Amino acid sequence: MSDHHHSTLVPLQQSTVRYRPDDAVDFVIVGSGAAGGVVAKELSTAGFRVVVLEQGPWHTERDFIHDEVAIFDRSLLSNDWARSPNTFRATEKETAKVKPSLAYGRMVGGTSVHFSANFWRFREIDFKEASVKGTLAGTGLADWPISYQDLEPYYTKVDWEIGVAGAPGPYDPPRSRGYPMPPHPPKSTGVLLEIGAKKLGYKPFPAPMAIASRPYDGRSQCAQCGFCLGFGCEVRAKSSSLVTVIPKAVATGRCEIRPHAYVRKIETDARGRVTGVKYFDADKRDVFQRAKAVVVCANGAETPKLLLNSKSNLFPQGLANTSGIVGKHLMFNGAGLSTGVFEHEVNGYKGLIATRVVWDLYELDPKLGLHGGGGFDYRFDTPPIQFANGGLPTDAPKWGAEFKKLLRHNYTRTIYCFGHTTSLPVPTNSISLDPTVKDEWGVPAIRMTYRDHPQDLKLNDYFAERGEEMLEASGAVKTWREKATSQSFSVHLLGTCRMGNDPKSSVVDKFNRAHDVKNLFVVDGSSLVTSGRGQPTMTIQALAFRAGENIARFAKRGEI
Amino acid sequence: MTSSSPSPLSLTRRGFLAAAGSAAAAWLAFESRDVLAAGMHAAHAQRFDHLSPADAVDIEAACAEIIPTDDTPGAREAKVVYFIDKALGTFAKDQRDVFAKGAHELRTRAAKRRAGARSFAGLPAADRIAVIASLEKDKHPFFDALRGATIAGMFANPEYGGNHDKAGWKLIGFDDRFSWAEPFGWYDRNV
Repeated sequence: MSDHHHSTLVPLQQSTVRYRPDDAVDFVIVGSGAAGGVVAKELSTAGFRVVVLEQGPWHTERDFIHDEVAIFDRSLLSNDWARSPNTFRATEKETAKVKPSLAYGRMVGGTSVHFSANFWRFREIDFKEASVKGTLAGTGLADWPISYQDLEPYYTKVDWEIGVAGAPGPYDPPRSRGYPMPPHPPKSTGVLLEIGAKKLGYKPFPAPMAIASRPYDGRSQCAQCGFCLGFGCEVRAKSSSLVTVIPKAVATGRCEIRPHAYVRKIETDARGRVTGVKYFDADKRDVFQRAKAVVVCANGAETPKLLLNSKSNLFPQGLANTSGIVGKHLMFNGAGLSTGVFEHEVNGYKGLIATRVVWDLYELDPKLGLHGGGGFDYRFDTPPIQFANGGLPTDAPKWGAEFKKLLRHNYTRTIYCFGHTTSLPVPTNSISLDPTVKDEWGVPAIRMTYRDHPQDLKLNDYFAERGEEMLEASGAVKTWREKATSQSFSVHLLGTCRMGNDPKSSVVDKFNRAHDVKNLFVVDGSSLVTSGRGQPTMTIQALAFRAGENIARFAKRGEI
Repeated sequence: MTSSSPSPLSLTRRGFLAAAGSAAAAWLAFESRDVLAAGMHAAHAQRFDHLSPADAVDIEAACAEIIPTDDTPGAREAKVVYFIDKALGTFAKDQRDVFAKGAHELRTRAAKRRAGARSFAGLPAADRIAVIASLEKDKHPFFDALRGATIAGMFANPEYGGNHDKAGWKLIGFDDRFSWAEPFGWYDRNV
């Protein structure tokens, strides 16, 4: 941070209010990430007494170092697979084995702290694809109980309250208000994407990013350091929950952020109402926090794990699970990947991850016989170690003089074309509890069952091919693409407590209230009915603003 | 890569997918064994805490085949072997045995190529290359460990003990200023 001019940052506020565990607060929120932060802010500013329980620590900018080893090998900001193992299997017939299969930000602010901040809205089609395009064998594809129009005011709230930079493009869904910040400069990756896309008849436009392009709401503009994905932002330009909604929640004097609090069970009474949550504190002591209502915002894997671990006599299949579908329909988003090497320096490692996007293939020609669609960006998201490990052409030597020569030449000249695609909701793809493996706290571990629907693999290959064409049109001197294989790891954890009108086929209603439990709400990536086109966080936060507003309304009317 | 050891690639969507199915897995991969605290080795001014002097010499020579020295510094000048030694005492404790066994494997293969050869480092250049090539061809687990460690030691932040004088970063053109403005590259300057 030598020569960048940015505003002086006031210290991040620490909790101003403390509640006793036996004080039945209005709401306990489990998780402080993209969704939990928003709900905390909405409920506390509406006048409610809120405790946010976050399993991870409360970091400040000093903790956000540019250290690839600490971040990626030592899980500095993310779930630690050594302490919190998960198991994985592709199909229900197999016995799951311990294998890291998911990553999320384990800290106040959650994954919004260390994500890359692509902030695409979903479009109208994402909410009604089943009825418009038809369903597919082997899937649980369904319409949402809400439309884009229902969510639009909350997307706009996200734009302005969280802080999104961009400019409406040709495929932007209808919006009630423009962006609060102009787009970021295009970088060489953006310039080249525009060249290639236009040659193919596409209409590229500025990438919507939750990163400040100018000073915003007391935060600095982006220093273009290039360390977004996996890293925390030390100038507070990335619009994470940590620096946007959580300070506002704390400032109400009614919201306590309680870090190092790992919730293991939601308790219910004889009437089937939630009474509070049991959690482990930093010293692994068991604490029971009483609450009048609970909002679970723990992410698409931890949320179903918590519900399934909250069994009781009344709820033998797990809490809010009379439908039996808690944990099912896990969606990741797919990826069609191709790579190009250019004649001159691109220097993709400088600056934010994506500056221009192409949405022309968001919906595909029905003749292709593919479900869903996607969008492209050009990026270079591999810091030096990751690049040297896997960024060279697949036919390149892995060591020796030629390997070194290619590293030297390609690092500044490589661009990855990332086609972000749909994942179909497959009922057998799921988060469940492992029958034997437990975490360091003795809590049954996440068991992930996942195999990409064959249709999704075809879609990814289609996007990799189109991406490679685009790189060639951009003037790449060498290109290659990767054949899609079924995924066994994800940072997008979606669909496992889907919303719907029918309690038999969904976990929460259209206001994110559990069908089975009146004073329990679930708001995070698990609520999504479809996966969109690869960038879910904007939609998760719009849902959180909508849920927060409605939960406050219900509470004020005594309807919780 | 063992099932419980995450790859440094694995946190990112693209990175993970790029690594899946390739031999580019991380070097964090192994079992454990007590290793004698090493003494000072004649060839090195710095002390090794975990590698034996003989192992250090052979592992350094092997790293120098992964990223050789030419007109620019390679793994040797970047002090990758010190990164490995330091890592084996800290976040990669459980991998000491892999490197001890790996150094032994290098010497075994050296002796097969040249009767009487007592070290890998002492082989002529062509034989050193042939030994590394044989490890890769046989899919010997030490190949991935060696390659991954060399890459990590070449490009990790210098405070981990390697990437000396930022040799790795200078090689590839990565500048650690962490603050940039337009133009970022040739194309947004000239097109």
